[in-house]
Amino acid sequence: MAEGLQASTGAKQRIKLERHYKKASVADVWELLTTKEGIEEWWGPDGFSVTVHELDLRVGGALNYAMSATAAPQIEFMRNAGMPVTTEHRGNFTEVEPKTRLAFSFPVDFVPGQAAYPIETTVEIFPAADGVRLIVTLDPMHDAHWNDMMVQGWEMELGRLERSLEKRLAQGS
Amino acid sequence: MHADVFQTLADPTRRRIVEALLGGEQAVNDLVERVAIHQSGVSRHLRILHDAGFVEVRPDGAKRLYSLRAAPFQELDEWVTRYRELWEARLDRLGEALERRQKARKERN
Repeated sequence: MAEGLQASTGAKQRIKLERHYKKASVADVWELLTTKEGIEEWWGPDGFSVTVHELDLRVGGALNYAMSATAAPQIEFMRNAGMPVTTEHRGNFTEVEPKTRLAFSFPVDFVPGQAAYPIETTVEIFPAADGVRLIVTLDPMHDAHWNDMMVQGWEMELGRLERSLEKRLAQGS
Repeated sequence: MHADVFQTLADPTRRRIVEALLGGEQAVNDLVERVAIHQSGVSRHLRILHDAGFVEVRPDGAKRLYSLRAAPFQELDEWVTRYRELWEARLDRLGEALERRQKARKERN
């Protein structure tokens, strides 16, 4: 048990996936990653289609899409899970370095168990002698999110402090 | 439920408490020392962790000893595994899309 716990809580749940696409070009990879037509072609998952509604390729820009179950088993699965056949997903680009590096922050988007928890994903593109090497890092506990929550917590504390100070001043006068 | 697991661990102090408990069960006083925040803070976070099923408590004389439960961490692992599988499949499809493009280009030439 201790080992499993260590894996879950130690450092972060950062996952690196690597692919070597032989004979592929960096330009094709970038296009598939950053255009409406490109993303719709492979984002999936299997049995689902993706329609990109908004794609603003810059830091902070939106990447919004609808995911619809199209194959019979997936449609049935969604219905049985009490979920709509089409779900909307809204994310943002967090890093954009053309043909080199792309990062986006997205709510969990697999089925089932939709949760509005953002996950940071970074894609690094490396030209290789005979194609393209891709490294994708999934970071479910990205520091930015932890920090955001910490800041929110602090702001609440400070707000409380301010209110109690005001109360004291009011009582004192 | 997944969101709850993440939300519970979103707090850095709670993560420090969980990390401190990895070594085994501990009394509140020991946790206060290890996590270096005030006892009322530790108690509050322990209550949240307890309510979310992350820790369990047993009395030991006048002390109460806290320890970790495995279930939410297993759920976290399963969740991360599923997310990884989603991306593995996604990258396979990206490879197929790249091959389609290469083939189309070759046919054009």
